[in-house]
Amino acid sequence: MCGIAGVARSEPRGVAPDMLDRMATALRHRGPDGAGRYADARVGLAHVRLSIIDVAGGAQPLGNEDGSVLIVYNGEVYNYVELQAELEAAGHRFRTRCDTEVLVHAYEQWGTAMLERLNGQFAFAIYDVRAGSVFLARDRFGVRPLCYSVVKGDLFFASEAKALFASGEVVAAPDPAGLDQVFTFWAARPPRTVFREVFALEPGCFAVWQHGVLRHGRYYELEYPEAGEESPDALMTLGELLEDSVTLRLRSDVPVGGYLSGGLDSSISCALAARGSPFSLRTFSVTFDDPRLDEGAFQQLVAGQLESCHHIQAIGSNAVVTAFPEVVRHAETPLVRTAPAPMYLLARLARQHDIKVVLTGEGADELFLGYDLFKETALRLFCLRQPQSTIRPRLFDRLYPYLDPTGRRGDFWRRSFLDAGSPDDPLFSHLPRFLLTRRIRDFYSRDLRAELRRDPLDELRESLPARFATWSPLNRAAYLEMTTLLSPYLLSAQGDRMSLAHGVEARYPFLDHRVFEFAAQLPTQSKLRGLKEKAILRRWARNLVPPAVQQRSKQPYRAPDVPAFFTPEPVDYVRDLLDEANLARTGLFEPAAVAGLVRRCRSGAALGFRESQALVAILSTELWYRQFFGED
Amino acid sequence: MDETAILARTRAYVTETFLYMRPDFALRDQDRLLERGVIDSMGVMELLVFLRNEFGVVVPDEDITETNLGTLSDIARYVSARNNGKGGAAPPRVPAP
Repeated sequence: MCGIAGVARSEPRGVAPDMLDRMATALRHRGPDGAGRYADARVGLAHVRLSIIDVAGGAQPLGNEDGSVLIVYNGEVYNYVELQAELEAAGHRFRTRCDTEVLVHAYEQWGTAMLERLNGQFAFAIYDVRAGSVFLARDRFGVRPLCYSVVKGDLFFASEAKALFASGEVVAAPDPAGLDQVFTFWAARPPRTVFREVFALEPGCFAVWQHGVLRHGRYYELEYPEAGEESPDALMTLGELLEDSVTLRLRSDVPVGGYLSGGLDSSISCALAARGSPFSLRTFSVTFDDPRLDEGAFQQLVAGQLESCHHIQAIGSNAVVTAFPEVVRHAETPLVRTAPAPMYLLARLARQHDIKVVLTGEGADELFLGYDLFKETALRLFCLRQPQSTIRPRLFDRLYPYLDPTGRRGDFWRRSFLDAGSPDDPLFSHLPRFLLTRRIRDFYSRDLRAELRRDPLDELRESLPARFATWSPLNRAAYLEMTTLLSPYLLSAQGDRMSLAHGVEARYPFLDHRVFEFAAQLPTQSKLRGLKEKAILRRWARNLVPPAVQQRSKQPYRAPDVPAFFTPEPVDYVRDLLDEANLARTGLFEPAAVAGLVRRCRSGAALGFRESQALVAILSTELWYRQFFGED
Repeated sequence: MDETAILARTRAYVTETFLYMRPDFALRDQDRLLERGVIDSMGVMELLVFLRNEFGVVVPDEDITETNLGTLSDIARYVSARNNGKGGAAPPRVPAP
């Protein structure tokens, strides 16, 4: 895995090598194994490398035979072996055996249509010297990041925004609308980011810069052509797809490890990896001091069955507090959860054990309806079909068991779901979460409120594709989950940024586009059967993972939050950042309201979701502000 | 403690606990707390702790309803009735140690 950066000038004014070096240096954590750059009068490309395939021969920027096509590339195209054979048959000659060169020849052969042939996770820039164009592209689900900005007619692009700012030509400024999206959806929705005039290339999209103009295109759309019945060979097909997906993702010239949460998805990917890896599998897990968060027993069970070399990153509350500032710096965005912090520490652990590549289970919950949010949606619809029933709403008591160990829920709990929105609203499934998250708005300063023009919920409603309305309610929910949470948050702030902070590449077998397309056409009841999530995946995994894991309900991944930052007094940097003078200087949150929150946190009373997310949001925003715009 | 005093103390608690970040929010005694976004389902758990600690009223599960706890007035009426041995599904219990 690597980092890329570059500039394309609208006029041939030259690109200073030291500017490219600064941009590359800002990305050094993504690619500690090497660096390279190219510059001519119009275009500059920079690259930092994490060597995984063709360790000796894959230096970048890499060109074709006559140097008329150059690429900087971050990611992996897993079917490069097959593509190379196809391209060689068409007359292309290769100098290396790395997937980077395959992309160069694929561009020569197919132009931008090459994207439809790629199976992988990637972001790249291809400079076509003859055409004077730069072709930017990003994978289907947004595993790898690519952001850009146009300044005075010049295009700047990079894996991370900090490289744009390192150019000295892109000025960092907060984007209030981007922040408002974070405090509604947990992340800004591409193309918007939390930085003004910095945009994220959308997943499944490309852009071509030529003659000073950036044209956008989309090569992949999420579709849900749901079948009426499960096909008789569905289980077999699922197995073949997952096995092939893992086999492709084991293509590497360095050992591949596995993240093991103890849940079904990571257990499946680790079990398949252990079966197919030429190396003995090394597995990595986080455990928590807090038994409500910990899944250590299940991790041990799976690691024991796989006979993997298992490594544990124990997470106490202090670990999250200590890591949090660096977590925010790498994430480049305010956060509403501390959950990225353990992932940051887990990547560090993997790297300490010389593992640069790990398989993880992300994506399965979105594809196979694993989250409680999907059950919640089904239950809300079930209750609204018979509103006078007093029995049906009692099923809500079975949701989110981890939130309220006492189980005392009553009418309020049920009403909160039933009153959260109409089924006619396209955002029906997600309104409870969105409305809860946006309570962070209660803490906004008057200045921040004054800068907001549009409601993020309205913007999201307007952005939905026309075919969205034709999908089932649960497929609509899955689409919203894929586009508002998986791509911009789970794969980014909690995924790419945390693992690449330590030069570790995460690979996602469930996010092979063929697996997604298979899951998208399944009937809903193959995925959510009653209130049992990921039904078909469980059936298939019956003989692969221990029964206790195969049968266990989804446990959401959570990390220590409010109490970690107060002991009961706030730790030093928290006190400093939430100080009235600092808040007034930043100007984003109302100091009196934050003082009330701090008082509640100190007293140990701020235990609910609402205040916990507010604290993490405010704290991470102040950290982010200081890191990117501060004078310190 | 009479219903008026219970109402005043509950109002102060709700304001300090759930509305400290919304100083301009005008909360009337008859406003539905859930509907107006004053309190959420987790907040109700906190409210139950307050009622136990402040008034010695332990609310049984079957009494956690909007009828009993939906507004400030409802809460005051319910607590008052419980303290007077009326209303609710169960008699007052001794607070847990």
